[in-house]
Amino acid sequence: MTVVEARGVSRVFPMPAGPVVAVRDVSLRVDAGDYVALCGPSGCGKSTLLHLLGCVDGPTSGTLFFEEHDVATLGDRERSGIRLRRIGFVFQRFFLLPMLSAAENVALPLAEAGVPKPERDARTSELLRYVGLSARADHRPSQLSGGEMQRVAIARALANRPRLLLADEPTGELDQATGEQIAELLGRVNADGTALVIVTHDPAFARRAGRVLTMRDGTIAAEERHR
Amino acid sequence: MRAPPPRVSCPVLLSAVALWCTLALAPAAAPGDGHPGVLLSRQLADAQGLSAGDVVRFSTADSGAGAVAFTVIGIYEPTPDPMQINASKFEARLHLPDLLAMTASPDDLLAAETVDQINVALHDPAGAIEFARHITTRVPGVQARAASSSNRGSVFVVLEQFHLAIAIVTIFASTVFLLALSVMLVDERRETVGVLRLIGLTSRRVLAQVFTEGLLIAVSGSLFGLVLALASESLINRYFQWHYDTALIFVEVTPAVAVQCLLIAVPLGVLASVAASWTLLRRQVLFLARR
Ligand SMILES: Nc1ncnc2c1ncn2[C@@H]1O[C@H](COP(=O)(O)OP(=O)(O)O)[C@@H](O)[C@H]1O
Ligand SMILES: [Mg+2]
Repeated sequence: MTVVEARGVSRVFPMPAGPVVAVRDVSLRVDAGDYVALCGPSGCGKSTLLHLLGCVDGPTSGTLFFEEHDVATLGDRERSGIRLRRIGFVFQRFFLLPMLSAAENVALPLAEAGVPKPERDARTSELLRYVGLSARADHRPSQLSGGEMQRVAIARALANRPRLLLADEPTGELDQATGEQIAELLGRVNADGTALVIVTHDPAFARRAGRVLTMRDGTIAAEERHR
Repeated sequence: MRAPPPRVSCPVLLSAVALWCTLALAPAAAPGDGHPGVLLSRQLADAQGLSAGDVVRFSTADSGAGAVAFTVIGIYEPTPDPMQINASKFEARLHLPDLLAMTASPDDLLAAETVDQINVALHDPAGAIEFARHITTRVPGVQARAASSSNRGSVFVVLEQFHLAIAIVTIFASTVFLLALSVMLVDERRETVGVLRLIGLTSRRVLAQVFTEGLLIAVSGSLFGLVLALASESLINRYFQWHYDTALIFVEVTPAVAVQCLLIAVPLGVLASVAASWTLLRRQVLFLARR
């Protein structure tokens, strides 16, 4: 079953020095349980494509379908609803809320989705156990290491059991060993049924994916299939 | 001579002659009974170290000739008058017959019967004009007029307009300041807002959050301002009352003033925070990942 599909999607940023074409006529389908890696040099449009797939940004031309819905026809409320319940985001710089504890960060999307407190608490500790951080539930992000912060971010992204997890260079700020642990964890997330699209510069990380797409100048230049 | 009971007497305000009174003022050698009574203003009593029971001597002449002894029977606080703020408050109040006995020329037998001018205080000052008209028609030859002159009123109208102008400028300037501060605060939180939007909070939801916060801050800020005003009110009053040696009240935060402040400050505070966030929320969620 298709989770997200881009059909001839482009994204142009109008800039004072002339329009910048970040994504150029890209077609891509991600099915349930897929594991896709986006590679390519800096500035080739990987993040922009990820934002389009995540309904954070809209295409300038072309059509984007999320679970068969044309995203262009959806309002802020529906798009926000998709981001809340159907998609999880993980970033290079973690983006945890610094004033909340690890558990509160994880519980935030649950609370927003209206999950009652007892269920929310149970799901939060289940998620923290899943990413191996039960002992750090009450720690603030500033009291956690980079790898630990990324685990909290992954737990938060998985809170509402999304169909799709998008990760933009999730190991970009981590050392080799910690990066491998995060890659391992994301592999487990995919094995447990969540479709995954990751952006990475690390070939070893990319090789874990079933499909590796290499981008160049806003287009998909090459596709490699593993497994 | 026994002093007539105060009710019957007509207290005459002697502020005009206060100066020569003090010049001729000297405590009598022997505190004797039987002197007529006199009231002194607190300021005069303080300056001369006098209290009730002391005997003072008044003279109408610079030389002090023909001084008459009086017993101080009380100290009074002169009615505060903003128009007289800088005037000396060295005053004495004598019973009318005593004053006449001192000032009347011995050659003029009628002088003791003559009074040029008396001030009358009414329980209801609003009835002054009506009362004056009444006196004028009832007692031919007497000119009565209300003391509250139009001149005094216009001074306060000018003062109030001045206050209003200061208030408008202050509120405008602080609103601009508040808005700038809110923009800075909100900009500091753009990452937080971005994360919330990415997680799936609608912009309306984030705005509601900001609104609630703005309301809380505006209310607590206004209350803080009021408490500060109330606290400094007595300080300001005490300083100026000391400085001008008067019982006049200079500042007063009345309930009406407090309510007016809240009515202006709270909506402005909320408006500033919402306006500041609005600029942020109108932008795409994208900017977050772009730093
Ligand atoms: N919000 C934006 N405004 C203007 N230009 C942008 C914006 N986002 C991306 N770009 C431009 O689009 C191109 C692709 O950017 P991006 O998708 O971030 O590349 P990557 O993630 O592959 O490094 C770059 O040239 C970048 O400058
Ligand atoms: Mg990028």
